[in-house]
Amino acid sequence: MKYVIVGASAAGAQAAEDLRKLDPEADIQIITEESGPPYSRCMISRLADGRLRESELYFKTAHFAEDRRLRYVSGVRVERINAASRNVVCSNGETVAYDELLLATGSRPWIPDIPGRELDGVISFHSLKDAKAIAARAETARTAAVIGAGFAGLEAAYALARRGIQTTVVERCGQILPNQLDAQGAAIIQRDLERMGVRIVLNQSVAGILGPGRATGVALADKPHVQADLVVVATGTEPNKELAQQAGFETGRGIRVSDRLQTSAPHVYAAGDAIEIDDATTGRRMPSATWFNAVLQGKFAAFNMAGRARVYSGAIGIQNAVQFHRVPAISFGQVLVPNESRENVEVLSQTEGDAVYKKLVLKNGRIVGLVFVGDIQKSGFYGALIRHQVDVSRYRHKLLDRDFSYAVFAGGPQFGQRSPYRNLAGLAS
Amino acid sequence: MRKLAVNAKDCTGCKRCEQACIAAHSRSGSAARAALEQPEAKTRIFIEYEAGPVPVVCRHCVEPLCVSACMAGCMQKDPATGVVTNQGHEQQCVGCWMCIMACPYGVISPSAEADPAAGAKFAVAIKCDLCPDRDTPACVEACPMNVLSVVDVPDPSAIA
Repeated sequence: MKYVIVGASAAGAQAAEDLRKLDPEADIQIITEESGPPYSRCMISRLADGRLRESELYFKTAHFAEDRRLRYVSGVRVERINAASRNVVCSNGETVAYDELLLATGSRPWIPDIPGRELDGVISFHSLKDAKAIAARAETARTAAVIGAGFAGLEAAYALARRGIQTTVVERCGQILPNQLDAQGAAIIQRDLERMGVRIVLNQSVAGILGPGRATGVALADKPHVQADLVVVATGTEPNKELAQQAGFETGRGIRVSDRLQTSAPHVYAAGDAIEIDDATTGRRMPSATWFNAVLQGKFAAFNMAGRARVYSGAIGIQNAVQFHRVPAISFGQVLVPNESRENVEVLSQTEGDAVYKKLVLKNGRIVGLVFVGDIQKSGFYGALIRHQVDVSRYRHKLLDRDFSYAVFAGGPQFGQRSPYRNLAGLAS
Repeated sequence: MRKLAVNAKDCTGCKRCEQACIAAHSRSGSAARAALEQPEAKTRIFIEYEAGPVPVVCRHCVEPLCVSACMAGCMQKDPATGVVTNQGHEQQCVGCWMCIMACPYGVISPSAEADPAAGAKFAVAIKCDLCPDRDTPACVEACPMNVLSVVDVPDPSAIA
């Protein structure tokens, strides 16, 4: 059996590892555009701030390919898929045949059309290469601007601040982490970053990056310019779906897949940031875009590719854990409630001083979202209740109490085993 | 593969398991003195309550979600012993808390802070490691009611 995997990040590497376990004899080939062993994209900020070396980012170890007996082709782009003849054409001119193909092509930074984006010293924050570029610039830079207060932008800002660089984050929305947290949770994280010395400017769009030749600052719509020797653009990502699209497979914002992670073409699967999912908590279709989802999808795709059917459904797009400076935070599922009455949604929340904030979003007796800031203990237990769509009506009065725990379900189902998204809706009713 | 079995109906909630866990994972070896250590040793087994006390502790899952969630690759399930831990591997825990978000039992905690004395740059996730340096896990030894025991379970790869 010949398996070909395009991409060596979370989904691609996981699929390779599971395919090897499932089929000790298989010929498994990974083709990746990047160089070196698989590295953790989520950890590049710790390289940028100098706390980790490149080899410490290798989440499958430096000798992953040899250990798992993979053919590992790096620095090569897959240019085209010939689904009818079951092969892919690579940038080095080679044609590689497959029996089963996995597209784990990931995502790329999405950069808006800001004047000056082409200037020297304007860097995105998505890859090891970006992190190295920022680390190199940071040697001499005294000031930096970060455009976008999502995870990537704030990770970059924190790394720059740790290096003693005077850093300003500019965000269009009225809060940081607008897609991941609600305003109250975001305010706590914002204070935490400000205590670290990061300056944050909200409700402000960027008019342009100032030159000439190399970046010297950022012009704002209606505030004084921000001086910056280095400009990080972190305005979001988009799925790398083109390979699938050009081959005529079904795509939307990302590659469309079935509940077996199969694309619309036979023998071709897709996993990770390149695909879109139907979010079980909001009902909306969205790019997958989290490490955890990518790994699970890589695993489930591997099983399906090896002929061991495993259904992947009920995925949740927002599953985030973060700690920039001192305050940890977790968000999960539907954290924003645009219109409470219309959606029949109930919100429970709790605060302890100005450092701890917990919120649960309930719909039809089930938890569909959570925000825990400052105290993240047991957040995974609540996450399991969300994933498994457990009816928590009987516990409504004590859902945020300190002693609400897995104990109430002890002896019951094994939440964590095998089917993280299995619907356990009948469990506690 | 070893696993902690919990027979909750005999649990009296004495919390000796928690004290023994703290002591076993402290530098001083004493639960009382552990409270003064930096970072403070924390329990990895939790006496929770429903109708009565219930010890809640890592199940060392067959397909652990904490392992899938770990962006550093340090959280691993040992193929021989079945123990799930983020310690003792080539990859290091950087305190991203993805495992805490993923653990359905809610039994992984953040350490208080990075331990510079141990040369640590990051706070780390702490969880049950089944006491690798002891014949019997400290909590099992400490339980006067035999609520906790170590059992051998079949290799999950055989039933996959």
